[in-house]
Amino acid sequence: MRVKYRIQESFYYLLMAAYLLIIAYPLYLMVATSLKPNAEVFTNPFGPPNTLFLDNYTNMISRSNYGTYFANSLIVVSVSIFAIVVLSSLAAYVLAKHRFRGSAALYAFFVAGLIIPIKLGTISILKLMIGWGINDGLASVILVSVATGIPFGVFILTDFIRLIPEELSSAARIDGCGETAIFGRIIAPLLLPAIAAVAVVNFIPVWNDFWFPLVLLKSDAVKTVPLATALLFGQYQTNYGYVFAVLTMASVPVVIMYLLFSKWFIKGMTEGSIKG
Amino acid sequence: MKRNNGNIDRRFDRLRPWAFRAAFLLPALLVYAVILLIPIVDSMRLSLYSGSGLVPTNFVGLANYIKIFTEESFSTHVWGAFRNNVVFFLIVTLIQNVLGFFLALAVTRAVKGAAFFRKVSFLPTTLSVLVVGFLFRQMLNPIWGLLGNYPWLGNEATALPALAVAVSWQFIGESILLYAVGIDGIPSEHLEAARIDGATWFQETRHIVLPALMPIVGMVTLLIFVGDFTQFDIVYSMTTTMANPRYTTDLFGSLFYRAAFSTPVRGGWGMGMGAAVSTIMVFVVSLGVGIWYYAFKGSRKGEV
Amino acid sequence: MKRFLKAQAMRVIALSFVAVVMAVGFASCAKKAPPVKTVTLNLTSWRTEDIERMNRVNALFTASHPNIIINFQPVNDTEYDANMRAGLETDTGADIVWLRSYDTGRTAYDGGWLYDLTKVIPDLDKFSPAAVKAWTAADGVTYGVPSVGVTHGVYYQKAIFEKYGLKEPATWDEFLAVCETLKKGGENVFAQGALDDWTLYEVVFSGLGANFYGGEAARQDLMAGKAKLTDPNFVAAFKAVDSLQKYLPKGYEGLDYVSMQQMFGSGQAAMFMGGSWEIGVFEDLGSDSSKIGWFAPPVAKAGDKLQYCFHVDAGVGLNKKSKNLDAAIEYIKWVAGAEYAQAIMNELPGFFLYNPVKVTLSNPLAQKMFDAAATADNTVRTVWEKLSAQSPSGNSLMGVALPGMMVDKYTPEQAAAYVQDQLASWYPPFKK
Repeated sequence: MRVKYRIQESFYYLLMAAYLLIIAYPLYLMVATSLKPNAEVFTNPFGPPNTLFLDNYTNMISRSNYGTYFANSLIVVSVSIFAIVVLSSLAAYVLAKHRFRGSAALYAFFVAGLIIPIKLGTISILKLMIGWGINDGLASVILVSVATGIPFGVFILTDFIRLIPEELSSAARIDGCGETAIFGRIIAPLLLPAIAAVAVVNFIPVWNDFWFPLVLLKSDAVKTVPLATALLFGQYQTNYGYVFAVLTMASVPVVIMYLLFSKWFIKGMTEGSIKG
Repeated sequence: MKRNNGNIDRRFDRLRPWAFRAAFLLPALLVYAVILLIPIVDSMRLSLYSGSGLVPTNFVGLANYIKIFTEESFSTHVWGAFRNNVVFFLIVTLIQNVLGFFLALAVTRAVKGAAFFRKVSFLPTTLSVLVVGFLFRQMLNPIWGLLGNYPWLGNEATALPALAVAVSWQFIGESILLYAVGIDGIPSEHLEAARIDGATWFQETRHIVLPALMPIVGMVTLLIFVGDFTQFDIVYSMTTTMANPRYTTDLFGSLFYRAAFSTPVRGGWGMGMGAAVSTIMVFVVSLGVGIWYYAFKGSRKGEV
Repeated sequence: MKRFLKAQAMRVIALSFVAVVMAVGFASCAKKAPPVKTVTLNLTSWRTEDIERMNRVNALFTASHPNIIINFQPVNDTEYDANMRAGLETDTGADIVWLRSYDTGRTAYDGGWLYDLTKVIPDLDKFSPAAVKAWTAADGVTYGVPSVGVTHGVYYQKAIFEKYGLKEPATWDEFLAVCETLKKGGENVFAQGALDDWTLYEVVFSGLGANFYGGEAARQDLMAGKAKLTDPNFVAAFKAVDSLQKYLPKGYEGLDYVSMQQMFGSGQAAMFMGGSWEIGVFEDLGSDSSKIGWFAPPVAKAGDKLQYCFHVDAGVGLNKKSKNLDAAIEYIKWVAGAEYAQAIMNELPGFFLYNPVKVTLSNPLAQKMFDAAATADNTVRTVWEKLSAQSPSGNSLMGVALPGMMVDKYTPEQAAAYVQDQLASWYPPFKK
């Protein structure tokens, strides 16, 4: 019996090791190639870089508007997440605590958005943004990101709020607190773990979104990092080292974000799956 | 409708709950409805129009659809994208679910390095699909790539699977995460009881682990389905919106983009026809969700 | 718990603060505040490869017009046309736009977004009429200054040719003989792939194939419906392209345009069928005019006149709704003049100006390409005018037929029929 488990266990470890290698190698290749000058990429394509060649990165920052692109992505992500969190928690509070006719239907209405691909309405979204005059600006991308994030936010936060004991709010109500105060002073602080999970889970798709910036944004001054990645990739395709530096730069922020907050991230994903 | 919520009786108490509910609900509701839901319906309406420019203005009824399904140069693309998307979805589901399952089993059984593994295995998922696509494109280059001088992205038989492999590579971590959570959730008594009864690994897996995981498998499959049938980034980065070679890597996402937002020189069809493509996508996704519901209805615990 | 959450919150705040500071720092480095009362004109084109060179050209304009700065923001080639038109339509477009010739550029005029240049550019009548026609609408309004044309031919590595004692071939048979010798020697004969949809059509078929289908005369007949792509002369062109299949490198089905350029530019292939615009790219890869040579597309039979694809590539147009119309008019006048022409010839060798001025070509390859036009019948790309105005466009159909032929999916006759039949679904002269 013991031997059987040992064999099984070593098989599992082997599998995990093989998988880690498959994950790691392309990522290593991306970073390693970014540190090579173009000539070295052709002579030494797969090995480690001979020197720490940082020119690809410094060129990217100095010769392109990379700072602007980075700032744009940051603005889009922070404003979108803030809005998602605020709007979702407000709505979730009502749906969780106030049972009225139609609240269940409304909840289902929101949650259905989890599997409705917003991309399918792109033509009309473009039309709408043009009509409002904001299509070539960050506001349009922010609005789209918020709309995409609300279903998940409502989904997670409603259940979470339901768990908060009714006595807390009732006590506050008897003391004369208005609903808004109840929400702000009692409910919201208790929501922080769930809010953290919603925020972190949304960070990645909002940062990495390529489709809507591609369709909505045209001017260089408002481009986000993924859009700039595509542009810079096309611009210098004959310089492999540079191209991989562009890819690496596009990935570093999200990877850092993930590694710092992976616990909240995993929590957010598993909350969603357990209830699904 | 008017309910007293327990406060000291003030005149506007009766309205207060509704005013407050509206104030709290409306922002989210408005953004969600106006930007996510209504445009999808509006796009379906726009598919009944034709014309150059960003907003088609001539009402043509179902002419766009008739054109798409009767004229060969249009129908081949739509059916091609449909066929490709199904194949793509099947390959991704197979790799992601099967490999993900075994790796989840591994990580829940392993003692050493499990936490590290879980954290790192999710890393590729955090990357942009665009980055992964560009990366794989370079790796599959027949002159300087990793895998010899075989034209992986040039051969019609291997191009689409190559895209599917790239997407699976990226998202296996997600499956591992979710399946591992599911396996962790199986009460250990069940597994111990099975072991005491002398069950083999195979039996244990088949009769305890898999049934417990069915709801998660269902959810993962649904997410993969909706994601794959609107997938665009991987085609853009690996084989361009022209879906080289010769549209064999064309998915609905790339077809929609090309039809709606490109000029005729690059294969564009005009906004009206583009809206028709997105409407067809709405139907395909709805059909898929319907089939999914029918298939997985039995093993879903409770209701949404 | 609360303390832990506070710690997490502090982490987020600290991270955001650092990120914002970094971003602001980068952003302020990237943009330099312009001096007071300057006007910035936005210029856009599809040449993302030329940002630095164009900036040097445009700096000359700013030198003579100190309060006008040109902000050059190109867009990827594949997205350019849709992007440019969407920008014009939604009032977010650039002030000066590069326009492709004929139908593709004309849609921008048809939408009512372009300025009538007939009155603004005084020397327009001195430009070659054929070029002006490519940016003139049916109502006689010229909406684009003809700017650059490009030619198509064959580059080769001099060292490899010397190694086998090869001379530049003048006829197709000589060309095939050269290919055979190189293949027998084990060299990569061509750096040419079949993955990208446009390279086989725009360069190989329109460039080298023109000698087989009869150049401009045949193209006019085709557009008028008097000829079909399934006629013997066009099929001969398809066959000629097909005959090169056995000289393509291993893995060519998966070789894209950029890899082709890298392969030739780094000296790994003997020949490259390409356009005049590639001179700069090859220089950047280490193959300058001392290392590579160029010859015109070989004629079908000895004694034939060269049918030379001198394609009207770019014109420059003016956004009617530009917020800096006067400055933009100044710029576009300068674009039609001598200083611009010479600057472009210097910075972007291989882009031949239509400006009616005398320029000196410093690059010997460019000079050779330009000279070939003097004794040739010039034409443009086969299905570019009129035949690509609607879907399915001639361009996209060629982009399927030719690569398909090169991977043996279609015979040359089938490839020709594929394009012809699909065009017949909408192109009126073919609908008989």
